[in-house]
Amino acid sequence: MHILRRRNAVTRALALGVLITSSYAVFAADSTPVQGGTLVYLEQQAHTNLYPPAGGFYPNGGILNQITDKLTYQNPKTLEVEPWIAESWSFNADKTEYTFKLRPGVTFSDGTPLDANAVAKNFDTYGLGNKERHLPVSEVINNYDHSEVVDPLTVKFYFKKSSPGFLQGTATIGSGLVSLSTLDRNFDALGDATHIIGSGPFVVSKETLGREVDLTARKDYNWGPKNLKQQGRANLDVIKVIVTGEDSVRIGALLAGQADFIRQVQAYDEKQAKDQNFPIYAAPTKGVNDSISFRPDNALVSDLKVRQALLHATNSKQVVETLFSPNYPQATSVIAKTAAGYVDLSNKLTYDPTLSKKLLDEAGWKPGPNGLRQKDGKTLSLTIYESLPQPQNKEVLQLISQQWNQVGAKLNILAGDAGSRVADNLDPEKTPANVVEVGRADPDVIKSSFYPTNRDALLQKGGLSSKVKSFRDDKLNDLLVAISAEVDPKKRLALAGDVQNYLLDQAYVIPIFEEPQVYAGAPYFKGVSFEAVGRPSFYAAWLEKH
Amino acid sequence: MNRYVSGRFGQALLVLWAAFTVSFILLQVLPGDAILIKFQNPDMGLSPAQIADMRAAYGADVPLVQQYLHTLGNFLRGDLGYSIQAGVPVTELLSSNFPPTLRLALMGFALAAVVAFALAFTSSLLHFGWLKNLLQSVPSLFISIPTFWLGIALIQFFSFHLRWIPVINPGEWVGLILPVVTLAVPISAPLAQILIRSIDQVQTQPFVAVARAKGASRSGVLWRHVARNALLPVLTIAGLLFGELIAGALITETVFGLNGLGQLTQQAVNNQDVAVLQAIVVISAAAFVGINLLVDLLYPLLDPRLKANASKNSKGATA
Repeated sequence: MHILRRRNAVTRALALGVLITSSYAVFAADSTPVQGGTLVYLEQQAHTNLYPPAGGFYPNGGILNQITDKLTYQNPKTLEVEPWIAESWSFNADKTEYTFKLRPGVTFSDGTPLDANAVAKNFDTYGLGNKERHLPVSEVINNYDHSEVVDPLTVKFYFKKSSPGFLQGTATIGSGLVSLSTLDRNFDALGDATHIIGSGPFVVSKETLGREVDLTARKDYNWGPKNLKQQGRANLDVIKVIVTGEDSVRIGALLAGQADFIRQVQAYDEKQAKDQNFPIYAAPTKGVNDSISFRPDNALVSDLKVRQALLHATNSKQVVETLFSPNYPQATSVIAKTAAGYVDLSNKLTYDPTLSKKLLDEAGWKPGPNGLRQKDGKTLSLTIYESLPQPQNKEVLQLISQQWNQVGAKLNILAGDAGSRVADNLDPEKTPANVVEVGRADPDVIKSSFYPTNRDALLQKGGLSSKVKSFRDDKLNDLLVAISAEVDPKKRLALAGDVQNYLLDQAYVIPIFEEPQVYAGAPYFKGVSFEAVGRPSFYAAWLEKH
Repeated sequence: MNRYVSGRFGQALLVLWAAFTVSFILLQVLPGDAILIKFQNPDMGLSPAQIADMRAAYGADVPLVQQYLHTLGNFLRGDLGYSIQAGVPVTELLSSNFPPTLRLALMGFALAAVVAFALAFTSSLLHFGWLKNLLQSVPSLFISIPTFWLGIALIQFFSFHLRWIPVINPGEWVGLILPVVTLAVPISAPLAQILIRSIDQVQTQPFVAVARAKGASRSGVLWRHVARNALLPVLTIAGLLFGELIAGALITETVFGLNGLGQLTQQAVNNQDVAVLQAIVVISAAAFVGINLLVDLLYPLLDPRLKANASKNSKGATA
């Protein structure tokens, strides 16, 4: 994930920590792959806009990952960045200039060449946005300045400031390379999957809006990641991505032989698949854990002792044991064990209702007549919106609400419409807490989540919201900026550890569990792999005769 | 009569314009907007300045009156704008989602009508008390079955257990069997109830006794005299049934993963996709108005007593 041409000890240590929950080792072909066949893949939701930087949405990533290639390939096991469309690369010492040498002979599916000029145009768009075409900037590219086409197969990128996360950024879903004609379209026209022209192993051949996207293998594809066992064209002929919103219908259809692979298997459905020998794949998303974050601008949680009390009143072990399966590990830090720069801070995340009550007493919150604590006429009652993309989020919050009740605090869970949710979540007075989770296998993910001008989970002054009165934590912000600018990989990981410690010492966030993407497949479906943050890749997948 | 028809058409257009305007105002009053929802989405990770740029690029901060006139003008020209969430023109979304819903709704309605008529007529022909009661209580049972549960139960049984009908990638017509049944059940219930009630009422009318006295059989009277008269109240609730159909289609499409207006509406509501919602409101209003217009124009043909009134009432009649 970070930028090194050689492995270092830290990465190696990380690699050992990687859990692959399915017994099917990724990339391990059980026997000789069969060529041909149609894969029926059931998605929970329809894709939205397929502009690659908007690929963070799971259904979008599931399509983009089959139809676009990236400059580099991030090995999901070691998190090393390896060659793909770029054969090699180099950068200057302060990581403000990156040069990539491209593989010759790569073409987009419309026949146009994937050369230095095309790559330069891609990153100019992702790094700077395109106002005229309504194309927004990509989250994974920081401090971008401009590109330079050195020769047809050499492209150079210049940055305003050090950008150590850039190399890993070129391997993410959001940096999928698309043809010049795709970049020439307005943002509004990129929801039509047939408009997305990539160079990937599959091509969009047909789309029924909101229902189905058909992908067909490119016969002449010959530029997959160099280090993969799979080379040449993909094994499958066709992938039918069919939107099936109802959970019970997806799992039922898989078990009844009407589908071969499904995304988003609920924890309570895993058992019936396993009982019939249908493998479950739980791909970790390697980023910021599923957590509750506080907005300290709100007087209810401005006191550190109150935040600590609520942290120790939260029993995340009970949450994962009650609602989930072993594929959802209990959180032991702000980021997942499989994430870059992870440090184990489980000693700071203990469930301790006695300590929690003591802290609330010290902070002056005394039990009131209805059992809830009160101070200066105010009740300790916090409002939070459930987050729809997170698994069983409503149930998670309800259980935590019960746990907080034990110490005299209340958590009100609102569903609300999308508009109210977005608007209220920008107002610390209305939502003193919110749900956070981000997947990205680079230490930059912590900055993405908490920095004021990124996702701004804590709502700081000068960040996303104009409603914040005064809260700002510059010590935190300096640490976050340091991560995104530190050129020495070892120091960068150390900084990531400091930030995790600081966030928990300040009790800004209560990590609950490590969010996986859970899939299930038919027993005869082999060879599927998952990129670094859990999006499926069907390049090496194949269907056994059955 | 012609003045009656043109007056009705004028009213229909007025209702459409009102639906457009009211929905425009309501969608603007709601907190947040589609652009905010799309670009404030943490998945995009945009900075406040970048979000402000996108808002400006989309003209979200143009005065409302100007936006209204602009949208109305576009609608009249047939340009329904873009779906911000899906990133495709609204007309494209509608053209791929309208036909399947129309097919599902028509077939669901047809089946519901068959079931309702069968229930109502058999139960009114029966002499036996308990069977009659049983049949007459079926509608209440149908009304109380939750549509989503029925859909899932049908899939589990016919598709996963018996494996007769696939739900994934079925043939065009085979795939409609279960959804149509799912949709027909809740629609048939109010239809059957109204029919049973109005058959009972019509049968107490003097002309039925006269026909019977002339020697007509029970079923003969039912078919020749009662049925036509009993249909009138059913027509009156056609508009309400249309609402039921849309609601039922929404749930059915979601459960069966069919694409259609129902599923489109649900997504548009979730994302406050104003352009899509606006188009759906206007289309639904048009269908509603169209159905009621048709009923108003059919009534005099079915009921001779209304013919005289229709020409008198052509002014100031209510829609």
